[in-house]
Amino acid sequence: MSSITLTNITKYYGDVQVIQTFSEVFSDKEFITLLGPSGCGKTTMLRMIAGFERPTTGEIKIDDKIVSGLDVFVPPNLRNIGMVFQSYAVWPHMNVFNNVAYPLKIQKVAKSEITTRVENILEAVHLSPYISRMPNELSGGQQQRVALARALVSNPRVLLLDEPLSNLDAKLRETMRYEIKDIQKKFGITVVYVTHDQTEAIEMSDRVIVFNRGIVQQVDTPLNIYSHPANEFVADFIGKVSFVHGRASDGYIALDDGQKISCNGRKTGDVIAAVRPESVTVF
Amino acid sequence: MKSNRSHSYLLPPTSSLNIKAALIVAIAAFLLLFNVWPMSYLIFRSFVGEGGFTLETFKRIYTYPLNWNALRNTLITAGLSMVFGVMIAFPLAWLVGRTDMYGRKFFRTLFVMTYMVPPYVGAMAWLRLLNPRVGTMNVFLAKLFGLSENPFNIYTLGGLIWVLTTFYYPYAFITISRAMEKMDPSLEEASKISGASPLRTVMTVTFPIMLPSIVAAGLLVFVSAASCYGIPSIIGAPGQIDTITTRIIDYVYVGSAEGLNDATALAVSLMIIGNLVLYVSTFICGSRQYVTVSGKSTRPNIVELGKWRVPVTILVTLFALVVVVIPFATVAMTSFTKNLGKPLSSTNFTTRYWNILLTRKGILDTAKNSLIAASAAATFGIIISCVMAWLLTRTKAKGRQIPDFLITLGSGTPSVVIALALIMTMSGRFGINIYNTLTIMIVAYMVKYLLMGMRTVVSAMSQIHPSLEEAALISGAEWQRGFWDVTLPLIAPSVVAGWFLIFMPSFYELTMSTLLYSTDTKTIGYELFTYQTYHSQQTASAIATGILIMVVAVNWLLNKLTKGEFSI
Repeated sequence: MSSITLTNITKYYGDVQVIQTFSEVFSDKEFITLLGPSGCGKTTMLRMIAGFERPTTGEIKIDDKIVSGLDVFVPPNLRNIGMVFQSYAVWPHMNVFNNVAYPLKIQKVAKSEITTRVENILEAVHLSPYISRMPNELSGGQQQRVALARALVSNPRVLLLDEPLSNLDAKLRETMRYEIKDIQKKFGITVVYVTHDQTEAIEMSDRVIVFNRGIVQQVDTPLNIYSHPANEFVADFIGKVSFVHGRASDGYIALDDGQKISCNGRKTGDVIAAVRPESVTVF
Repeated sequence: MKSNRSHSYLLPPTSSLNIKAALIVAIAAFLLLFNVWPMSYLIFRSFVGEGGFTLETFKRIYTYPLNWNALRNTLITAGLSMVFGVMIAFPLAWLVGRTDMYGRKFFRTLFVMTYMVPPYVGAMAWLRLLNPRVGTMNVFLAKLFGLSENPFNIYTLGGLIWVLTTFYYPYAFITISRAMEKMDPSLEEASKISGASPLRTVMTVTFPIMLPSIVAAGLLVFVSAASCYGIPSIIGAPGQIDTITTRIIDYVYVGSAEGLNDATALAVSLMIIGNLVLYVSTFICGSRQYVTVSGKSTRPNIVELGKWRVPVTILVTLFALVVVVIPFATVAMTSFTKNLGKPLSSTNFTTRYWNILLTRKGILDTAKNSLIAASAAATFGIIISCVMAWLLTRTKAKGRQIPDFLITLGSGTPSVVIALALIMTMSGRFGINIYNTLTIMIVAYMVKYLLMGMRTVVSAMSQIHPSLEEAALISGAEWQRGFWDVTLPLIAPSVVAGWFLIFMPSFYELTMSTLLYSTDTKTIGYELFTYQTYHSQQTASAIATGILIMVVAVNWLLNKLTKGEFSI
């Protein structure tokens, strides 16, 4: 069981509010994606879960334990969370083995067990042949896997990923998407994934949270977000879309120039309709 | 359920805020006490007489033609050294950094190393080389060109400018080189793709983009040359060429209250010149935004010199010979010469002066004093540097720029001014008396050289992405453990480099030591100076050669430690 419960979270930097009041429960083994343009507050959200930032108000619980609240604050090192950073943050002065073994050394795990567990996890991320390499002898994708292995090696309750694929080339990005998803299933771990890439969000997630300017726009499954966007921003941010203005009444929308489009929405009156290209049928 | 209150001790926002505030206050207080307040007092004293505000002191000192001349000489020598220094440094920096000239790495190390050599060593060398009657180079040149008399006289304004230039151009060389390394090479590539020749590219793109750094480099040379004491006192004294610094020290040596007052007014003049220049340079560097500093490891594109490759290499080699090799060799050879009137030969060879250096108690004691004072200054200095680096790069603590500003101010203040201000305020008049102790030396060295250490550590820290430390935290390490396992190993080479950058100039420091020494706290720099001027040039040369060897060794060590990233 590893759920994350966020209750009435807000975050201010000085007078600037970067996260507006937000509550949500991420359930066990769920793959949650925080999606939005840069500067929307998604990374701040992730860093609050990790414990690098403290919410201005509100409470964060991992399982039943409060990790951040009015008079409680558990620092990141005591939260038992795995995290992959955008810049990988693979320590340049340690080889692959030592990078991955680090969390276990902190936990004072016995040496022989460290070796086995590191070898196993490197196997899982396909890095076994590189165990004694230094980071500067690895490609970007390989460093990425080191970071992933290090985040997973201590069997954390939660795995946080901060735009992990944004520094990889397109081809590799695609492969890594599947691998991350695979690993999530294999380890049965709750994942919070931050990205500005809608394809990643839609392909990998159980649920997507769309952010804009610190405000949560919509929380839903990828399919629902695509087919029933909550507002213009969400519709525009995900997938290809055109907007048309008109008046809706029983079964059709009357456009300004007199044309009529049939529709099955419930709304009436002045509306903005989002039209997906694949839903247009030409007779 | 509110559990785990015990876990909230690690990042308690209020108490960590207090730690930061306390550190900032402590460092600022140190600098306020030993830098700002003494300097303010110096200014106050020079403007306030018995009847309140007055320009009387300034009027009096500048009625003496001697002081006017000193001011004029300072401005001329510093000004021309600046112009010549930049004229040498820019092409050199370009050749070394951007072309396929032979031996670029070697030349780079050589020129940068000169920066670590005490300037008075240059004065000692050129004294021997260009003495109007017996200067080795003079005699050689006269013979070579069949001249009836020796072509040069070192005891002139021109001689002073020559030595100042050859020992301060490395300051400009380093500044310009760094800026050149940081410049985005695609800017030059864009010019070439537009059809401009390499030379035209340099003139229309490289030079204009570099201009702010060039101006900053020039001003750095100006301030350093204007506040230099060693060179004008060794070369100027026999030729009766005074500069502000030598006049200040003469006045202090008079010892009377009036002498101190006059010294104060001259020091304030120098300070005004220096700070004016510092202000102009920060103003210019502040507007330097358009220098494109691109991300990591941009490989600068290398200009092929083609048919010029060999001639240019020869020219630079000649320059290095004249400016670096010959002077240093001269000093080293002087230390083995029995009779200075004759050239070094097997019959005119002695190790006597090296014996003196290694056995005479007076010299060894001063070396010990310098070692203690410089080590203390470097150690305290590097601790402050690390704390400042942490505050500047890892926290948003309010007021963290204040100590940063004060440290910069201290290093921009001429040494002679720092020392004089400390004498005026720290000799018991205001309840603190550290005059005649090693402590006052340590304090003076720290005020002057702290910036070098701080810059090194700050730049190392800012190159370590915070996520490396966060990764340690999220792996379960407390921040102290993360600092120990991750941050420290990564900045360690820079910390060592920073330590030596404070240690070396403190070790052979001359100007401040000349004013602050007492019979028990003479330093090696001052001892060398005394031998050079009063007793034995050979002994002085042996000491200087010892220092040179130390500089080379430290440089080699730093290169090894940091895998070539840091030398100097």
